[in-house]
Amino acid sequence: MAATASSVAASNGVAKSDAPIREDYVRIDDLTKEYDGFRAVDDVSLNIRKGEIFALLGASGCGKSTLLRCLAGFEKPTYGKIELDGVSIVEQAAYDRPINMMFQSYALFPHMTVEQNIGFGLKMAGHSGDRIRARVEEMLTLVQMNRFAKRKPHQLSGGQQQRVALARSLALSPKLLLLDEPMGALDKKLRSQMQLELVGIIERLGVTCVMVTHDQEEAMTMATRIAIMDAGKIRQIGTPDEIYEQPASKFVAQFIGSVNLIEGSIEDDEKDHVTIRSEVLEQPIFVGHGVTGFEGQAVAYALRPEKIKIEKDEPTQERNKARGTIEDIAYFGTHSVYHVRLATGKKLLVHFMNAKRWASERFTWNDTVWLSWGENAGVVLTS
Amino acid sequence: MMARLRRWLPDGRWAVIAPPYFWMLLFFAVPFLIALKISFSSIQIAMPPYTPLSEWSGDALAIKLNLKNYLFLLEDSLYIKAYLSSLKIAVIATFLCLLVGYPIAYAIARLPTASRNTALMLVVLPSWTSFLIRIYAWIGILKNNGLLNNFLIWTGLIDEPLKILHTPVAVYIGIVYAYLPFMILPLYTNLVKHDHRLLEAAYDLGCRPWQAFLRITLPLSKAGIIAGSMLVMIPVVGEFVIPELMGGADTLMIGNVLWKEFFNNRDWPVASAVAIVMLALLIVPILIFHHYQSKELEGRLA
Repeated sequence: MAATASSVAASNGVAKSDAPIREDYVRIDDLTKEYDGFRAVDDVSLNIRKGEIFALLGASGCGKSTLLRCLAGFEKPTYGKIELDGVSIVEQAAYDRPINMMFQSYALFPHMTVEQNIGFGLKMAGHSGDRIRARVEEMLTLVQMNRFAKRKPHQLSGGQQQRVALARSLALSPKLLLLDEPMGALDKKLRSQMQLELVGIIERLGVTCVMVTHDQEEAMTMATRIAIMDAGKIRQIGTPDEIYEQPASKFVAQFIGSVNLIEGSIEDDEKDHVTIRSEVLEQPIFVGHGVTGFEGQAVAYALRPEKIKIEKDEPTQERNKARGTIEDIAYFGTHSVYHVRLATGKKLLVHFMNAKRWASERFTWNDTVWLSWGENAGVVLTS
Repeated sequence: MMARLRRWLPDGRWAVIAPPYFWMLLFFAVPFLIALKISFSSIQIAMPPYTPLSEWSGDALAIKLNLKNYLFLLEDSLYIKAYLSSLKIAVIATFLCLLVGYPIAYAIARLPTASRNTALMLVVLPSWTSFLIRIYAWIGILKNNGLLNNFLIWTGLIDEPLKILHTPVAVYIGIVYAYLPFMILPLYTNLVKHDHRLLEAAYDLGCRPWQAFLRITLPLSKAGIIAGSMLVMIPVVGEFVIPELMGGADTLMIGNVLWKEFFNNRDWPVASAVAIVMLALLIVPILIFHHYQSKELEGRLA
């Protein structure tokens, strides 16, 4: 994952400081934004570390964009505090904040050339012509757009426009960089390439970054940490693998990737293991670690499709297995997704890596198969 | 063979472009050529009141181009003064229209979508009454014992009525009033297309709102400014009714000179020459207008 790539001190002299990482470089406290009584952002508190790429992930209308616009200064929060590097910025106007934004579909100035676009902020800040030229040159090199300096935005491709937009938002060396749906306007192929390139540039400069996206793949690829938002509230904050492997709620488990949720109740609650009785499985689920709960408590067992093993013959393990028939198959090339109907009527999704080329090596419709999973394969969710 | 024939036969495209061409031919090119022809003839007391250009004498066709009318325009300083004065009035009036019209167009473009059409309607609505009636209404407002002066005297701001009617000020008021919609509509069409996020991007990069207006909105509305200015300036140069009714003895505009030449002096050839020269003067702004309009259509500026 790109987010874990090592940070190289930038060649242009922007070296990373050795000071301890500030955990609360950006500090958002009890932030609420209401429109006519509707709470777009509902009492959000979160801290963002210096130098990290922090993603706000959620469906449209979840409040992520409003939160970003509050950071940029385009919306005034109804109440709550925002501090950047120890300074409260809520009262500052957008043009006074040391924050720059790369807009969704870029918002490049159509009547200016690439270099005028990049130099715009520097010009507004009153820098000398020489200074502006030098910095624009530096930025053009950073995003490899030197050849296009004299072009107008409409003469550039989508990917090139994005590079210019990035250069423009970095030219003022902002304390905080905001990315609004950074890949929204690019086609899929270009997207994955630009994601890594963008992360590379951001990490090279060591700039702290908050991005907004509805695309979970994008958030997982680019971000150091992700906040899942829903209905104006933050549901969970964590690294991409924490969010995926240890979802805190059914909502998060279902939002990220696909998941089998098996509803049941705790039958046997021991210190080192628990068992969950579910109507949809013939035998109870055995969980190889203790959970904070009580016997009889209603829980959901979240089991990712790739954690389930599928085979023709009954597995030797005694626990955590079930028999079913294949009802549907979705072939994705790298893997296939089998929809397996259990005897109780419950349908489970199972991923199967297509490691072999021949269809005869795989399963087909109406095959009776055995499913099994390890004792730590799933997560017990109480909410 | 058939394909080649078909290329020369009229198809659907012709049906679409023929009416405007025909319109231009009938109502612009033909009258223009007639005026051009008359401008090269001499005056005579007859019907029509000018000499024919061509003459059969024996077996030779003689075409006589009489340049006297054009030279006459240069001889009498009245004409040059009138042209310059018309241009001056047109330029100043256009600038005033821009000054008044830009904020109106900007405000309408920023209204919620539902109210925009109502606002545009209000801009156009006055032109539903006769132009002459509206000019007479202005005379009623501006004259010495008119509405404005009576009101100002009533408030005690002035003791004696201000002389506005039959001064250049009245002419400017009349022209700005009458031509304002022609400024507002193209400006609005341009401004309403502006992407609000460009302004946010400008604020984000350190622009105060007025700087963002000067550096983003204004340059991006250049095509609208030019279109509106041309729509106002070109007809104002030839404006005749407003200076005639609201201007004084010292208001000199080429439209009035033309009218007098034609109806008072009955000198059709000189009147035609005046008209042709006016058109020649206006060709430059018309070309500029056309240039930017086609650029606008190509979406280069917007």
